[in-house]
Amino acid sequence: MSYELRDHTADVGVEATGATLGEVFAATADGLAGAMCEDVPETGERFDVTVRAESKEALLFDYLDELIYQRDVRAVLPVENEVEVREEAEDDENDQSAWALEGSARGVPLAEITAREIKAVTYSEMALEKADSGWRAYVVFDV
Amino acid sequence: MDTYEAGDVTLQKVREYVWEIPREGGMNTPARVLASERLLDEISEDKTLEQLKNSTHLPGVTKYAICMPDGHQGYGFPVGGVAGIDTEDGCISPGAVGYDINCGVRMMRTNLSYDDVRGQEEELVESLFANVPSGLGGGGVVESDLATVDAILDRGMEWALEEGYAVPEDLAHCEDEGVRHDSDPSKVSQKAKDRGKNQIGSLGSGNHFLEVQRVTDTYLDDVAEAYGLEEDQIVVLIHCGSRGLGHQVCTDYLRKIEKAHGGLLSKLPDKELAAAPAGSHLAEDYYDAMCAAINFAWVNRQLVMHRTRKVFERVFDDDWESMGMDLLYDVAHNIAKKEMHTIDGEEKELYVHRKGATRAFPAGHPEVPGTYLDVGQPIIIPGSMGAGSYVLRGGEASMDLTFGSTAHGAGRVMSRTQAKKDYWGGDVQDELAQQHIYVKAQSGATVAEEAPGVYKDVDEVVRVSDALGIGDKVARTFPVCNIKG
Repeated sequence: MSYELRDHTADVGVEATGATLGEVFAATADGLAGAMCEDVPETGERFDVTVRAESKEALLFDYLDELIYQRDVRAVLPVENEVEVREEAEDDENDQSAWALEGSARGVPLAEITAREIKAVTYSEMALEKADSGWRAYVVFDV
Repeated sequence: MDTYEAGDVTLQKVREYVWEIPREGGMNTPARVLASERLLDEISEDKTLEQLKNSTHLPGVTKYAICMPDGHQGYGFPVGGVAGIDTEDGCISPGAVGYDINCGVRMMRTNLSYDDVRGQEEELVESLFANVPSGLGGGGVVESDLATVDAILDRGMEWALEEGYAVPEDLAHCEDEGVRHDSDPSKVSQKAKDRGKNQIGSLGSGNHFLEVQRVTDTYLDDVAEAYGLEEDQIVVLIHCGSRGLGHQVCTDYLRKIEKAHGGLLSKLPDKELAAAPAGSHLAEDYYDAMCAAINFAWVNRQLVMHRTRKVFERVFDDDWESMGMDLLYDVAHNIAKKEMHTIDGEEKELYVHRKGATRAFPAGHPEVPGTYLDVGQPIIIPGSMGAGSYVLRGGEASMDLTFGSTAHGAGRVMSRTQAKKDYWGGDVQDELAQQHIYVKAQSGATVAEEAPGVYKDVDEVVRVSDALGIGDKVARTFPVCNIKG
């Protein structure tokens, strides 16, 4: 799994790849952290993240939004993201939560780093698709 | 030249600085770009025109969607985009307002001259940087609880007045007198309030900043006098928005609308344009929540201004009233407002979406505050750190051409990733210091990303606004000290 920051006139794009959906989600989240801070120390406690949504794309959007929310309320930068994604059983009648994610991140205290703010995740130009070796994601973040 | 070819888009010249993209495919109306050919060369380099065309797919767009002279690619709707959308059979789109609801600019006057400040710039910049919260996790001017957040969302600058952070003149000199009574705090999620409660009175980062400036030129003497501006005078410009609270409001409603109005969404070319049909519950709820976030942003800028007054008191050993530190005006540049406009001779209520565009009402418009009614609404156009900024006034042509709007800044031309390859923060700071501009930032990368060279030529943006008569040049300012996140 890996990510690259991509050019965007005003904002920042993250292009990520991973062997599984979980890996590509985690790589995108690492890209979000990379867009905020280049120099991250080995500090901070891990915390868990749980998200449910109606589609894979919505799950990716809500997951990245959750990390931005946790950043603001915990005052930490979520790094070293780990994610497992699963599709819920067909008998789940509530279509709003057909996809689920359990993950964790190491929360580096913002007080210990110099970081820039990413305001939000966007759907603009979002891609989440099968690639040769697994999955590819492209997400634009509002700076 | 009667047409301009930009890849597969052909723009037709309507008249000087007005270009039209004819209606085609799923476009409900034509689209217009207000620019010189020089600015059009820059505007056509990224996805701005495609995003502008996409925005005309929204139901109820009236006349045409418009890109301002400083326009550039954003997400969904371009930055520098204006659309007047029918409140009866149209829609409202959170993505066409932007995440940073009521991101905006205010300018505070002083009666200090540049000579009064010279020699003390470093002390001033250090003190501002130490006292005005900025960057990520930098806290706010006030630590608050949820009850305070609710009061701010409900009453905007009236809350600041009650709490002693504002004087009545501050409210009189703010768009809508600093409060949107349509707000409903109960339509703002707990998550949004949790994000906002520790950020009240903070700049954030990115392109947000606080800048001490000197007025270098005035152009329309009677208007400059009405605005209280004269050459060599020191003014302060504050650029920030509704912080995490506003970002979360936009995110929350984008997702709610996606779930509830998938039918409309499936007809739009970009998912980020997701819109709630006029009259739907979500259209009403989003409007009320957005108005609450607008109130939050006004209080945010007010608290930063309040803190700035205190810093000036300490550095110059005088009280702020004696230094004439009065609010000139506060403008929003990411907003949707219900406004009355004349369309084909008929009065219509529109949701005027301005994303990276500033309201520019002319003299005599009933929504211009009394003090400025005879000269027109002040418009503040921040430029980059090295180029300075402008004060304009709402022009006579704005109601007809742009739903009463003009540009909001210089507009970016270079990506942040490229900027960091081309510039190093320390070099940029040194070069600015040679021009007697003192910059202090949380992050060197922010300085590089916001280097003067990543922006369009603000002089050209303002020249076009002035020539079109949508925003007339009143004064130009040049930076003295700048702090950013």
